[in-house]
Amino acid sequence: MRRFKVLAMKEVMNLLRDKKLLFGLVVVPLILFPVLGQFTSVGMSSAQGVTRVAVVNLDSGTYGKLLVKTLNASPNVSLTLINAGSVNEAIEKAQNMGQNVLVVIPRDFSSKLSSSQTASVQVYGIFTRIGAGMKESVSEGRVRNVINVLNREIAVIKLKMIGVKNPNSFVEPVKAVSYSVVKGRVVDVPPSAVAAAISSQALSVPLIIFIMITLTSQMAAGSMAAEKENKTLETLLTLPVSRTTIVASKVFGTAVMGLIAAAAYMVGMRYYLGSLSLKTSVSLSSVGLSMSPLGMILLALVVFLAIVFSLSLAMLIAVFSEDVQTASTLVSAVVLPLAFPSFVLMYTSIYSLPTSIRWLLLAIPFTHPIVDYRKLLMGDYSFVALSVLYLVVVAMVTLYITARVFSTEKVLTAHIRGGKK
Amino acid sequence: MEGTAVEVVELRKNYGKREALKGVSFSVKRGEVFGIIGPNGAGKSTTLKILATLLKPTSGEARVFGMDVVDNASEVRRIISYLPEEAGAYKNLKGIEYLRFMAKLYAGNTEKAEDMVKRGVEISGLGNRLNDKVATYSKGMTRKLLLARALMVMPKLAILDEPASGLDVTNAYEIRKTIKDFSSEGVTFLISSHNMLEVEFLCDRIALIDSGRIVEVGTPQALKSKYKADNLEEVFMRATGFEV
Repeated sequence: MRRFKVLAMKEVMNLLRDKKLLFGLVVVPLILFPVLGQFTSVGMSSAQGVTRVAVVNLDSGTYGKLLVKTLNASPNVSLTLINAGSVNEAIEKAQNMGQNVLVVIPRDFSSKLSSSQTASVQVYGIFTRIGAGMKESVSEGRVRNVINVLNREIAVIKLKMIGVKNPNSFVEPVKAVSYSVVKGRVVDVPPSAVAAAISSQALSVPLIIFIMITLTSQMAAGSMAAEKENKTLETLLTLPVSRTTIVASKVFGTAVMGLIAAAAYMVGMRYYLGSLSLKTSVSLSSVGLSMSPLGMILLALVVFLAIVFSLSLAMLIAVFSEDVQTASTLVSAVVLPLAFPSFVLMYTSIYSLPTSIRWLLLAIPFTHPIVDYRKLLMGDYSFVALSVLYLVVVAMVTLYITARVFSTEKVLTAHIRGGKK
Repeated sequence: MEGTAVEVVELRKNYGKREALKGVSFSVKRGEVFGIIGPNGAGKSTTLKILATLLKPTSGEARVFGMDVVDNASEVRRIISYLPEEAGAYKNLKGIEYLRFMAKLYAGNTEKAEDMVKRGVEISGLGNRLNDKVATYSKGMTRKLLLARALMVMPKLAILDEPASGLDVTNAYEIRKTIKDFSSEGVTFLISSHNMLEVEFLCDRIALIDSGRIVEVGTPQALKSKYKADNLEEVFMRATGFEV
């Protein structure tokens, strides 16, 4: 145990002092993600700011004026009336004035509404330069909302004119009041809000697991292959330490770095997603989807076992590589195809998949942290217990095979070289 | 077996179809500096790697202080120290951290480890540069650090593969002097080299190896007399059938 500690400390120290690795582990998630999020947020804020709407009112009737008045009273809308004889002239003027949207009220707008026909207005989003198009999209949405309100108001006015006493019950005869049933309990939150809260987790958990798996497996492969590349392996193998201890200390050292990376990525992603307003108005715990302390321990165990599996597998591959570059390429070729399928769980539940695909996914250890996270939120411990058992077996068998291969002279005589040096 | 540090009998090693060792036999006495001399590809490094428990022989026996290198590999590793020909140290560690890390793996307690580190600092002769990262060291400095690592643990058998290979005169001289000093303290050395001057300066006895076979064993003086040669280079050439 003493020797394991000494070796593991050396691994951590060696990895922590690797500037390139630290850049990827800490600088990227802790600085780049929040900065990226901030930039995106500034873009979104600007898009959600005041919309510059130009209106050409070709109609001389009451309803055209009423629409202009309603648009003018709308929040976050800056209205400019344009005088133009045709649509083309109006578009040119609106473009020159830097407007986001042009609304054209046609000549027959009031007459059609008065004669109980459907009237239409034309809404043009003006793209003056190539951007995300967010501002134009938001502006169009705002104009549509105004028109919806106007539709309702005109309908109410018309119903009153023909003597209807309670026009609102005609305009909106059915009103839906939404609730959600979570774990058998009725909560006063619309399903869309609960779905949004779950969806934000459904996206971020697989992403974080994926990043952790790929990062740590690359680290482990690099750590093993670097022993060959830097000519330290032969010395290491003649030290009075068992080969299993060497492999286990490398797995442990890299797993510690993996946890540091996971924490950094979680913080970074949280800032990033927060900036994108993916934060929902309801939290999972407020609707009863919280994780107990036991659940958190089990989840940590599941994540740890999945990482031990990926690290052991990466080291097993790296044993046969002559340099870090080859090890990295080989590990990517094996680990990435194993990690990608779990992305399907971003958009669906494992139970909505065909049985064969479901079992195939469950055979991949990287799927388990994602499935188990959801199970633990629902309080389903029996599935997670089986999952832990499966992962223990898979991780230990892989670790054992790696240690066995590491004990043979293959570790010195195998020379797979991929990249050019 | 009393008095024998290394016993190698009919050692054979194949890499696929290639026979690297074709029945190598020799023995090394305790406290002796024994050299294995031969050209590149003769089988020097393979022999040393088998004795250092890195490779397994295809057939034959190799014993270190009476312990079989295959059956008792863990026990053998506790009493040997191996310095490979092409070796490096962990570049992100400082020299002193590297010595401390190695000492902790050999020593049973902190006190013993610190004694080893003190010895290592002395052997290396690197002074304040030990507080710098290994990445900043020259080839000679790294080699001195690695030799210090190998000897500070006071192994019963030090296996050094080309200890001064590729070093300048000063660094090579210092490394040879260190080996001599430790030999007088009772450490047994098994050294491989193709530098005949180095071998003559360091070794009590030598074995000449060529194409996986030992062709001669004896003291440098006795071999020079036997082959009526002025130096070991001539001895090697005559022993391997070349006219000089």
